[in-house]
Amino acid sequence: MLEGYEKIVLFGDSGCAQMCDVGGILQLEDMEDFLRQHNKQVLGKIFVQGGICDVNAVKQEMENNRAILDEAEAFLIQACGVATQNVTELIPEKESFPATDSKFLGTMPQRFVHQERCIMCGECILDLTGGICPLARCAKGILNGPCGGSMNGKCERDPETDCAWQLIYDRLKKLGKLDKLKSIWEIKDWSLSQGPHSVVHEEA
Amino acid sequence: MYSCIAQPKEICVSLQTGSFDARLKNSVQSPETKLRRMLRSGKFTVTGEVGPPHGADDDLVRERTRLVKDYCDAINITDNVRGIPTMSSMACAHFVIQAGAEPVMQMSSRDRNRILFESELYGAYALGIRNILFVTGDHTLLGSHPQAKMVYDLDSIQALQLASHLMSGKDLAGEKLEGIPLFHLGATFNPNADPLELQVWRVEKKRDAGAQFFQTQAIYDTARLEEYMEQIEPLGVKVLAGVIPLKGPKMARFMNERIPGIRISDEIVNRLESAGAGMKGEEKKEAVRAEGIAVALETINRVKMIRGINGIHIMAIGWEESIPELVKASGLYPRPK
Repeated sequence: MLEGYEKIVLFGDSGCAQMCDVGGILQLEDMEDFLRQHNKQVLGKIFVQGGICDVNAVKQEMENNRAILDEAEAFLIQACGVATQNVTELIPEKESFPATDSKFLGTMPQRFVHQERCIMCGECILDLTGGICPLARCAKGILNGPCGGSMNGKCERDPETDCAWQLIYDRLKKLGKLDKLKSIWEIKDWSLSQGPHSVVHEEA
Repeated sequence: MYSCIAQPKEICVSLQTGSFDARLKNSVQSPETKLRRMLRSGKFTVTGEVGPPHGADDDLVRERTRLVKDYCDAINITDNVRGIPTMSSMACAHFVIQAGAEPVMQMSSRDRNRILFESELYGAYALGIRNILFVTGDHTLLGSHPQAKMVYDLDSIQALQLASHLMSGKDLAGEKLEGIPLFHLGATFNPNADPLELQVWRVEKKRDAGAQFFQTQAIYDTARLEEYMEQIEPLGVKVLAGVIPLKGPKMARFMNERIPGIRISDEIVNRLESAGAGMKGEEKKEAVRAEGIAVALETINRVKMIRGINGIHIMAIGWEESIPELVKASGLYPRPK
C-alpha cells in the first residue's frame, strides 16, 4: 500500500479511532515506530479532537500542520473509511490510505471489546423488539425468527454467538409484550438501507 | 461530532400491527398434487430426498430419482444445503418430473432476493413444479463457501407470503401476471430448536402465510417431537417427521457439530460405535449401517404413533439406497398410486 511513498503523515482522532484502539495517540506512536523501522519518514501525526468525520475540525488541524502536509507524499489514516475519504477529498492531490478495516457499529462493554449492535437499516424496529436488533444481532438478520438453528440460546453459526431471537423472546416476555412476536413481520423495505445516502437536516 | 448519521423517526404512539392480511385462502386455489392428495386423504405419507449433483451431470438426478421413486409419494430436491453449491433445485425438480416422479422443490431465502424468488416461482410453475418448500437456509459459515454474501432479503415466512401473494395473480409491485403460478406450499420446522413457544408460533405464522404441509428437521428424540406436536395440534397442519438414517458414529458426531438444529443422543452414537466393534472393512461398514437402519426404523415406528404426524420425510443424504430399505421394513410399501 505504501510502496514508493517515503514521507508519510499519520491521522488519528480522539473519538471512534481512539475508542477502537486504532487511531489514538498510542497507536499513532506505534505506527510511527513501525514505519520508521521500515525506512519510512513520518513527518508528523495529526490528531483530531472529536472525529475525522467532522470536516471543520479536520480542516483546522490541517491548517495548523500545513508545512508537513505539503511535504508529505501520502497520508495513512488510522480511523474509519469515512475518515480516509474525508482526507482524500480535502487533499485530493495526494493519496490517503486506510490503516484500518471498518467493521461495524457496536457497543464497547469494556476496553478492547466491541460487539455489533446496528446495521443502519434506515428503519428502526427496536420499539418492537424490546431494544434488541435482530438485523444486527441475528446471523441471518431475519425478521420472523428464530430459525431452526437456535438451540440452548445459541446461534447455529457458532457456539459463542447468542441467538438474538432468544434474547428478544426473553426480553419481551419480561416486558409482558410477547404478543409482538405473534403476528408476521412484514417484508422489509431494504431500499432505505441502500446507499449512497445523504441527509440534510433542516435548520430549526 | 461523529458521523454515525441518524435522523429523527416518526414516533408511533399507537400499537403497530402488521398490515398484510396473511391468512390467505390459497388452499382453495392449490393445485392437486399427489402429495397434497395423500396428506388430505389421511393416509400415512412418505416423502424422500434426492441430493442434487455437485456439478452438471443431470443423469445423476434421474438415476437417484429412479432409485427411490416407487417408495416415496414425492421427492424433495434440496437447495444448496449448508451453502455448498449443487445443481439448481429448479433444474433438478424438472429432471425428477422427467424421471416420472413428483418433486418438492426447496427454496432457501439465503441465496435469493424477492426478485429472484418471483422469477424462479414463475419458472418453476412453467416447468410443471407444484410443490414448493421454503427454508431459511443454513448459515454459509457451515459450508464450503463461507466468504459468500448471504441475501436474506426475505425470511422463509415472508417467502411463503410472497408465493401466496403471486397466487392472487399479481406480483409484489401489484402488476398483473402473465400467467398465474399456483402451488402447494410447504415449510419446515425443527422440534429441536428453541425457544419452544416461539417456534410453535412460527409454525402458525407459516401456516398463515400459506404453508399447507410441514417437513421437520431430522428426529432422533421422539419425546421432544411429541411435546411439540401437542403444542401445534390446534393449528391443524399436516406434518411429515424428518428421518435421517445414520451411516455410522462419525456421521452422527459430524451432524451434532455441523448440521444446524440436530440433536443425536450419546446413546445412539454409542449404539453405532459398538455395532462395528471388533470388525473391519466391509463387514464393519455393513454392521454399522445395519444399526443405523435399525435406529431409523425405531424412530419411524415411534413417530407413527404420535398424534398429528401424517407421514415421514426420509433424508438419505447421499445414501439413497436406504430409502427403499426403510420404507419396506416399516411396512409402508407399496405406496398407494
